[in-house]
Amino acid sequence: MAQQISLKEAERRAFRATYNDGLWDILLGCVFLMFAIGPFLSPNLGDFWSSVVFLPFWGLVFLGIWLVRKYVVRPRVGAVKLGPARKARLMRFRVVMLSVNVIALLLGAVAAMRFGRIPGRMTTIIFGLILLIGFSIAAYFLDFSRLYLYGLLAGLSPPMGEWLYVSGFASHHGFPITFGTTAGIMILAGLTIFVRLVRKNPLPIEGIPSEEA
Amino acid sequence: MANPQTDPELHPLADIDQIVHAPARLMVLTYLYVVESADYVFLMRLTGLTWGNLSTHLRKLEEAGYIAIKKEFKGKKPHSVISLTRQGRTAFRNYKKSLQQVLDDLPD
Repeated sequence: MAQQISLKEAERRAFRATYNDGLWDILLGCVFLMFAIGPFLSPNLGDFWSSVVFLPFWGLVFLGIWLVRKYVVRPRVGAVKLGPARKARLMRFRVVMLSVNVIALLLGAVAAMRFGRIPGRMTTIIFGLILLIGFSIAAYFLDFSRLYLYGLLAGLSPPMGEWLYVSGFASHHGFPITFGTTAGIMILAGLTIFVRLVRKNPLPIEGIPSEEA
Repeated sequence: MANPQTDPELHPLADIDQIVHAPARLMVLTYLYVVESADYVFLMRLTGLTWGNLSTHLRKLEEAGYIAIKKEFKGKKPHSVISLTRQGRTAFRNYKKSLQQVLDDLPD
């Protein structure tokens, strides 16, 4: 009970208490798994279908996360509707992320039209930078500092993979190794946070008082 | 000991809302001030209060008109959503102002 009262900190704590359950980390990790496994499938399925094939997998993961959040996390953590300050911050986050994505898409399209095929190393550096910027923006707006680390890992994955590939240490542009490691770290971190949350927050005891249990 | 009711220098202390001033209720009000609404479990987890303790404090705040407790059903289970009323928001702001004034007026 002996906690310092700070409105900013209270707001931050309320937000984090709702979303810091590790499930988003697991979902992100599963998305990055696509970059690790996809290169094995593209020789047979092509670039497009080797990505599309993951949609049902993501759907299942998303459904699983939704169910876990509803039946495991929510009864332990409770429910909250965020205040106007946080809602405005989230709106700013969405706008900035959308702008970054649109700019990245436009730059990519212009570069492809102007120069034709962009050299592999340059593509991986640009791709890595976009990931790094995206994760850093998310870390800043969402108050989750581990997203900076994820950004660094994800941002380094394409150029590092390319370097491994060019040096002859790995196949498939090194993506299975670099993105696989990034995805593994995200999923492991998510699982650790989730297990810790479940262990730290047992279900409220029924009957005292019976109303909410 | 100086009496805040009679000592003009300590007079702002007398204005401090005792309903808000209790540490547990202050904690609850702080969280409710920064969110739109929250349920019992959420408040219990964030404040570290037990269920019984939280219920007692929420009842007092509700009686003072500072919070509204909306009872609803989620499936077959009852579920209460707690939010700060306009009166509660004003009381919290006034409390913050009074306390700040008292602390600012204290000599170093």
